[in-house]
Parts: sequence; structure tokens; C-alpha cells
Amino acid sequence: MSLIQLFFIFFYIGAFTIGGGLVAITFMQQEIVGRGLISPEKFYNMVAISESTPGPIGINMATYIGYRMFGVAGGLVTTVGTVLPSLIVILLIARYFGKFQDKPLVKAAFYGLRAGTTGMIAVAAWQVITIAILTLPEFRKSGSLADACSWPALGLFVGVFAFSQRFSWHPVVFIAFGALFGVIFL
Amino acid sequence: MAGGLTPGLFPGNEPGPLACSGGTFFRIMAPMNAFREYIELFLVFFRIGAVTFGGGLAMLPILDRDLIQRRKWMTSEQLVDYFAIGQATPGIVAVNVATFVGYNRKGVRGGIVSTAGVVAPSLIVITLLAMFLDNFSEILWVQRALRGINVVVAVLLISAVWRMGRKTLIDWITLLAGIAAFVAIAAFNVSGIIVIVSSALLGIAVKYRPRGDRAGGSGRAGEEDPE
Repeated sequence: MSLIQLFFIFFYIGAFTIGGGLVAITFMQQEIVGRGLISPEKFYNMVAISESTPGPIGINMATYIGYRMFGVAGGLVTTVGTVLPSLIVILLIARYFGKFQDKPLVKAAFYGLRAGTTGMIAVAAWQVITIAILTLPEFRKSGSLADACSWPALGLFVGVFAFSQRFSWHPVVFIAFGALFGVIFL
Repeated sequence: MAGGLTPGLFPGNEPGPLACSGGTFFRIMAPMNAFREYIELFLVFFRIGAVTFGGGLAMLPILDRDLIQRRKWMTSEQLVDYFAIGQATPGIVAVNVATFVGYNRKGVRGGIVSTAGVVAPSLIVITLLAMFLDNFSEILWVQRALRGINVVVAVLLISAVWRMGRKTLIDWITLLAGIAAFVAIAAFNVSGIIVIVSSALLGIAVKYRPRGDRAGGSGRAGEEDPE
């Protein structure tokens, strides 16, 4: 496997990932683990690290795999490869979107699209809640309401919610506080 | 306004007369000002990339604050539009939104600069971790900090969805469509692309009048194709 081949694999992954980083990870697993380039255990370790570091998870994975295979140059090449297809497509769309966005057909489509997209974003919020606050496996096991959620996490949730309604601090302030709270209490 | 920029060499300056009028000072300063704006674009998206944990949607609250409320570079409706487009096109949504916003500010170069900005923290952090700390995610305090971060992200996302919903769920049809999209994905695991396509079709079915005889389309009816 040469650096150029690796570039095209990630270009392909970037071009066929529609709708988010988790789709990209499925593709990477097929292309990288499937070809025996990286062992499955190593791969899942990489997924865990990509989830726990800043940045979009798909980009983190691309950088990581590239670095593992070809060092710093590899990380750069895989990241550029992943990003390039969407960069090209979005630049083309952005160029012509201004011309089309006032057409009645496009306006009508976006009237529905905005509603659907809001629903999709709400799903993301719901998923974070189920991961961060609710402890549904324990609840199913014991059946007692005390196990339905992590109480310190719920306390943090309510506290941050109240504060964020009253004070319009930058989200990063709350994220930093959440990290600190987590280290101490969670 | 969106997408209406002409991506010139040094946007905001006229390159023609400067070249022959002998204004060397301006010839140097024009790129400096443009350069400063590119730096700002890069830094804004670098910050967004650096504090986004998990999927691209987690960056929504920060986009809302930095780009809509603070800088007024875009409206809530535009952000939702970009997310919709980003969901339906290849690539990672976070990167797509960065490219879109960058293009609208500064043309093709702006798109490239802001994409580089949103990607750069990943490159730096992951490369350093891979060099020095391969078991990062197994460290106990890292796991705990992430649990706390996730709770805060949940709060921020709810607030962002609420603010957004007030702009996008404007009547009972859109409200129902939003709820239907939520249920379809959360409960029935319907693929996002299906939700995108069907909500666009719903919008067309409800609002599109080819001859513009209702208030739905404000464009010139005569210029439209019948289909």
C-alpha cells in the first residue's frame, strides 16, 4: 500500500460518506480492517480515542489511521483525502445556491427541509441524553427507578440548564465546567 | 445575500487601477487586510473544531453562539439550511458547514481556509496522542471528564434545538414534520437521507405553486418552469 493508494481510499470514503462520521467509520472498517492493514482491536481503540478527543470523529479517525501507517505525512494525506470530495461538492453547491435559493421550488423544499432537519438535530440531542444521563441497561436489570439515571449527571444537567438560561456565557465555559465536574463526581 | 459574493483575488479591493497607479503601499496593504480576514476565518473554525467532541452536531451550539449571535455572519435559517445540505451531500457535516460559511464570507479561498481551520485541531491532537499517549481513552479521569462534557453538550444541544425550532417549526405542518422526523429516526432508525428527501418533497407538496398564485412563493411567477 503506497501513500497515493491510501489517499484514494480516503477520498473514496469521503465521497461516499453521506450523513455523518459514524457512516465514515463503517467505511473505514471495511476498507482498512477488511484489507488487514490494521487489526480490529487496534481499530476499536482508535475509535475510542477519536470519540474522546476534540474534532469531528471522522476526521480524527482519518488522521489516526494515516499516522499509524505513514507517520505525519500519512495523517495529512488521509485527512486531505477525506475532506477533498465534500470541499469540492460544497464549493460547487455554495456557488450556485445563491442563485437558486429564491426560486419558489427551492423555497418550498427548504420549508419542509428545515423542519425535517430540526427533527434530526433533536435526535442528536436525545442520543446524547441517553448516553450521558440515563442508565437504561441498569434500569432494565434492576427495575428500580433509582437506577434509571445517573443522579450526579442529572444534577449537573439541571444546574447547567438553569445557569445557561440565566447567564449567556460562551458554551466553552460550560463545557470546561462539565469536564471538571466529571473528573470530580462522575 | 448568501452565496452572492464574487470570489475575487483580494475581495473588497479593486485590483485593476491599483496595478498601474503606482500605489505600492496599497498593493501591499490590500493583501494584508484580506489576509487578516482569512486568519480570522481560520481561527474561528479552529476554535470550533477544538471544542467539538463527538459528532458534527455537537458543534451546533458553538456555531450558534460564534457565528449567529456574536458575529452575525449568518441567520439561524441559513445554518439549518447548511446542515440540511451537509446531511444530504458527501462528507462530514461539520466540514461541510465550515466550507459553506467560509465560501459565503470569502469565496473559494475562504471555503478552503475555514475547512483547514476546522480540521487542524484534529490533525494536531491526534498526531500528538498517537505519538505519545496511545492509551489516552483508557485513562480514568479522561473518561470522567468526557462524561461531564457529554452532559453539558446535551444541555447546549437542547437549547440550540429550541432556538432553532422557533425559527423552523413555524406552523402545524412543520411542527408535525419535525416530530415525524424525530420519531422516524429515534424510534424506527430510518436513514437520514430518506428523512431529508421526504421532508423536501413535503415542503414542495405543501408550499409550491408553479404560477405563484399563493403567498408561498415570492419569486417572479413568470420566470419559473412549470415543473
